[in-house]
Amino acid sequence: MADLVIPRHILDDIVTHANELTPYECCGLLAGNDGIVSRLYRIKNIVAMEGAQNLSSFDSAKAAHLERLSPAERAEIAFVMDMQDFSTAKKDMRNSGLDLQVVYHSHPHDPARPSVTDIKIATDYEEIWPKINLPLPAYLLVSLMNTEPDIKTYWIKSGRVTPVDVLIR
Amino acid sequence: MIKVRIPTPLRPLTKGQGEVETKAGSVVEMIEALNSTHPGIKDRLCDETGELRRFVNIYVNEEDIRFLKGKDTSLKDGDEVSIVPAIAGG
Repeated sequence: MADLVIPRHILDDIVTHANELTPYECCGLLAGNDGIVSRLYRIKNIVAMEGAQNLSSFDSAKAAHLERLSPAERAEIAFVMDMQDFSTAKKDMRNSGLDLQVVYHSHPHDPARPSVTDIKIATDYEEIWPKINLPLPAYLLVSLMNTEPDIKTYWIKSGRVTPVDVLIR
Repeated sequence: MIKVRIPTPLRPLTKGQGEVETKAGSVVEMIEALNSTHPGIKDRLCDETGELRRFVNIYVNEEDIRFLKGKDTSLKDGDEVSIVPAIAGG
């Protein structure tokens, strides 16, 4: 029994989203029931917005690095979800009886594995999910660094990264 | 008293405290009260028009204030508020 079931058309939609935004990172959510994904929500990446790097759990080194870049350059190496979009998606999930299953984002220039920043923020967020009434999600990364997009999904728990067994159908 | 959970990125403003207590009748009053004891916090949460910034959410007793009355959401003694930073990564 796989940990997660993701329909092929939803994976295709993630790749389309990533390709539309490249060289910038895209981000979004997948929702469903009991590990079976049935819906995708695109969320705006607002890392280029003034001040976003200050309130999004980046450690001081990453925030200082982002500070030195232009807004466009920031969006090539980081994402910050628009929490207004996030709230709208969360409301739709609740109205549709769906649970959050996956947080996804793209790496236009890097492999499909979580960066140090991804691991740090996912670990910080572990204590936040229950406070906002959501289950701990899996993290899906799509890499566009090679001709063929590469998609991989992980659990990130207490700073440890383990692959998720995903069934695509 | 209202219990407010402070996320890691804002803890430098609360001398490292992950939770602070304050008195307030609404979210907007809570932000003002926090700002008087921890100057600078309002700027991090609200834009120049006073609206909640898009990279932050506030939850009152696990409910998103964007589904309640926004910053006018009322608070009562014993309520628990979480300031939630945006989901992010690199």
